[in-house]
Amino acid sequence: MWLPILGLLAGLALGLLVSVQVPLTYVKYSAIAILASVDTILGGIRAQFERRFDLTVFLSGFVVNTIFAAALTALGDLLGLDIYLGAVIAFSIRIFNNIGFIRRDLLGLLWRGRPPGVEEPG
Amino acid sequence: MSFRAAFSRTGLRAWQVVLTAVAVVVGFVFSVQSRTEQSIEAGLQSSSGRLGEVAYRYRAEDERQATMRQEIIDLRGQIAAEEQRAASEQRVTASLTHELDELRAEAGLTELRGPGVVVTVTDSRRPLRPGEDPNLVLIHYSDVRAVVNMLWAAGAEAIAVNDERIVSTTGLSCVGTTILCNTRRMAPPYRVVAIGNPDALLAAAQARGGILAQLRAFEFPVTVTAGTDLDVPAYSGGFVYRYAKPVVEP
Repeated sequence: MWLPILGLLAGLALGLLVSVQVPLTYVKYSAIAILASVDTILGGIRAQFERRFDLTVFLSGFVVNTIFAAALTALGDLLGLDIYLGAVIAFSIRIFNNIGFIRRDLLGLLWRGRPPGVEEPG
Repeated sequence: MSFRAAFSRTGLRAWQVVLTAVAVVVGFVFSVQSRTEQSIEAGLQSSSGRLGEVAYRYRAEDERQATMRQEIIDLRGQIAAEEQRAASEQRVTASLTHELDELRAEAGLTELRGPGVVVTVTDSRRPLRPGEDPNLVLIHYSDVRAVVNMLWAAGAEAIAVNDERIVSTTGLSCVGTTILCNTRRMAPPYRVVAIGNPDALLAAAQARGGILAQLRAFEFPVTVTAGTDLDVPAYSGGFVYRYAKPVVEP
């Protein structure tokens, strides 16, 4: 469980150390892609807690969500329509959802000794 | 399945490794993104979400700058044209000033200096014989006028009688026992200064049968001297044209 978090920290540190910058043209797209990947990771963590984690689903979700979010933003730019707002809202809602489920799973696991995946009220 | 076997031997699960790899990627991209965003905000005072707007403003400003540059070029051209015009106007003004100076000199409004002759005539000191007309021993205005006319005819360029400049409106006339020249009354001796070619003036003055010869014949004291550095004062009176108007050619 701690390994992914260590990996996240290592990635953050690496990003700060390496002087790479996103090209200005793609800043908007990469921001949406990050949001999508964060959502996918949280989804993966939640699935892990609920013991239905599938590596293929996770990886494909990560790649497809990220690329699709960026592509949607690009499409919005082409049309002069702020489609990326839709992606932002959808991913934000999903992130909150996933965090909520993870919170409940953690609470059930740590305090009540109940196995995750079992629905509980609140 | 040898992968999974290897993983299980290290005690790690495949999902942990994959999740870690994904986390590394996400962390890396995240920090790069945030740093980029910070540099954008530091450089543009605007977030990346408004880059399009910034680009639009930049293009608009660029266009405005281009038109302003064109304006500068146009204005420079106008300045050059105006300068040229001012210079030509200055030339016109200079030539007008020059012309005005010449006209002033010709009108007698400036003091002039040059070579010429001085003719002095005065009343005769011959005692009057009984019954004789006193006019015979007096210099009349007509005598002075004749001297002046003689000098003009000889090519004098400027003439003054007793330091009174002879100009175009000057008339010599008789006022009692004195001669009126311009607005000044004069008494003998009359000193006529003329600037011009001294030889020509002297020749005219000493001509046989000329006015000076006639005066000498009546025993008036007449002296004629040539000078190289004679002064003719400026006309100090005014020109008043109340009735005469210049004819403007259509």
